[in-house]
Amino acid sequence: MFDNYRDVDERYVTDTTLVDVEGLHFSRGENDIFRGVDLRIPKGKITAVMGPSGTGKTTLLKLIGGQLVPDAGRVCIDGEDVHGLSRRALFRMRRRMGMLFQSGALFSDLSVFENVAFPLRVHTDLPEAMVRDIVLMKLQAVGLRGAHDLPPAELSGGMARRVALARAVALDPELVLYDEPFVGQDPISMGVLVQLIKTVNQALGLTAVIVSHDIKETLSIADYVYIIADGQVMAHGTPQTLDVNRDARVKQFVHGEPDGPVPFHYPAPDFYRDILATKGERP
Amino acid sequence: MIRPIASLGRGTLDALSALGRAAMFLAQSVLGIPSREGWHLWLRQMHFIGVMSLAIVLVSGLFIGMVLGLQGYTILVDFGAEDALGQMVALSLLRELAPVVAALLFAGRAGSALTAEIGLMKATEQLTSMEMIGVDPLRRIVAPRLWAGFISMPLLTVGFSVVGIWGGYLVGVQWLGVFDGSYWSNMQSSVAFVDDILNGMLKSVVFGLVVTWIAVFQGYDLIPTSEGISRATTRTVVYSSLAVLGLDFVLTALMFGELG
Repeated sequence: MFDNYRDVDERYVTDTTLVDVEGLHFSRGENDIFRGVDLRIPKGKITAVMGPSGTGKTTLLKLIGGQLVPDAGRVCIDGEDVHGLSRRALFRMRRRMGMLFQSGALFSDLSVFENVAFPLRVHTDLPEAMVRDIVLMKLQAVGLRGAHDLPPAELSGGMARRVALARAVALDPELVLYDEPFVGQDPISMGVLVQLIKTVNQALGLTAVIVSHDIKETLSIADYVYIIADGQVMAHGTPQTLDVNRDARVKQFVHGEPDGPVPFHYPAPDFYRDILATKGERP
Repeated sequence: MIRPIASLGRGTLDALSALGRAAMFLAQSVLGIPSREGWHLWLRQMHFIGVMSLAIVLVSGLFIGMVLGLQGYTILVDFGAEDALGQMVALSLLRELAPVVAALLFAGRAGSALTAEIGLMKATEQLTSMEMIGVDPLRRIVAPRLWAGFISMPLLTVGFSVVGIWGGYLVGVQWLGVFDGSYWSNMQSSVAFVDDILNGMLKSVVFGLVVTWIAVFQGYDLIPTSEGISRATTRTVVYSSLAVLGLDFVLTALMFGELG
């Protein structure tokens, strides 16, 4: 197991780091989400951030995107400290990013076409014919060109996610953040999405950060993986090195084993006593 | 002993913090004056907030004017002063009833809808995704709504007053037989443009700003759950109504206090 990100595989990390997360601390109330997380996301690669539910994976994406402010530590994108930027500069930086939300987060008052066209309309002066071509190309890539007139309310969860992916890459951003892209997809869409993320990454040279706990799909396309647990980076490495990692927690997570050091149950009193408790003793 | 003091302190700090957030929110949103490209957003909100509130405001104005005509007549006729009915109806509406009742109706119709709409956008991460696309939701979503409410409220108040005066005329003149000429001429001679009409409009401008501000802020600041949206919508109507009534007293004291 690695102690910190400086031990990262040198064949993987080059001198072109796009996102550099250093000593990140973040808490909500009394609950510490991150206690000193270090990550390095290189340009043009697919980096996966994995971990059990509730470990703060989505929170990490929001910290990278500057939507949340860390208690300590910093996040640099292309050398610029995200949380040191003015509101205007932060919005300017976000034009170079795309984010796929777990829920899709499509604008409910716009059609599928207008949702994908939205970033193009607000950030470019492209003529309408070109906007139309780009939108239809993006929708064709996610298999939903035929649905361009539909309102988001008429899409299934999986379709909404695919439209959101088309919108996230509409401006061909440098960095795309994927929040649980594979949740709720049928097998065909899942396969297409996995391929699509890989293809988009290779064809356009995008940098991708995928937050997920779908082990098989994520490991099949990731160049490098960070596993987060208990507020820290538990392990990191290429999919191949993680597959043979001997740490009990890593092994349990990567192979999806029910028994191991990571408990399945939320802390609770003894089950037998709880069941037999009299009325006055019940919680 | 310490616990109530601690909870009072926490409550005060929470209230001050919310007030600070609301002030920052207003300052950042007001800067989003409709740009050339933003006109269509602003017009759409004018339609939703202003035009769609027109029916409830005009119908209410008509009934309130009719009730004023009826009640005014039954009181004034005892003193043989039913000719002053036009003056009574117009002054009641222009100075008080039109700005206040239109604002209360506006809070219930448009204010609650604004809170629910923005709240639902927040709960479904639409505001967050807009931020991540590099578009400031304060300018794109909040500012057009704030400006539309700010501009619609005085226009709705004008409509309320006009229809209310006509309602008073229908009951007083057409039904109860007050002389047509005295209804209008008494009104014309007693209503002052600055003291009555402009002061009433000034009230509606203030109410429009406050009600829309409360509505959009409650939507933007809510806890993004179904319960959070429900609570915020209720808060919008309650806070707006109290703010309108409280501010009405303050403004009336400032505008008309010296008359006594």
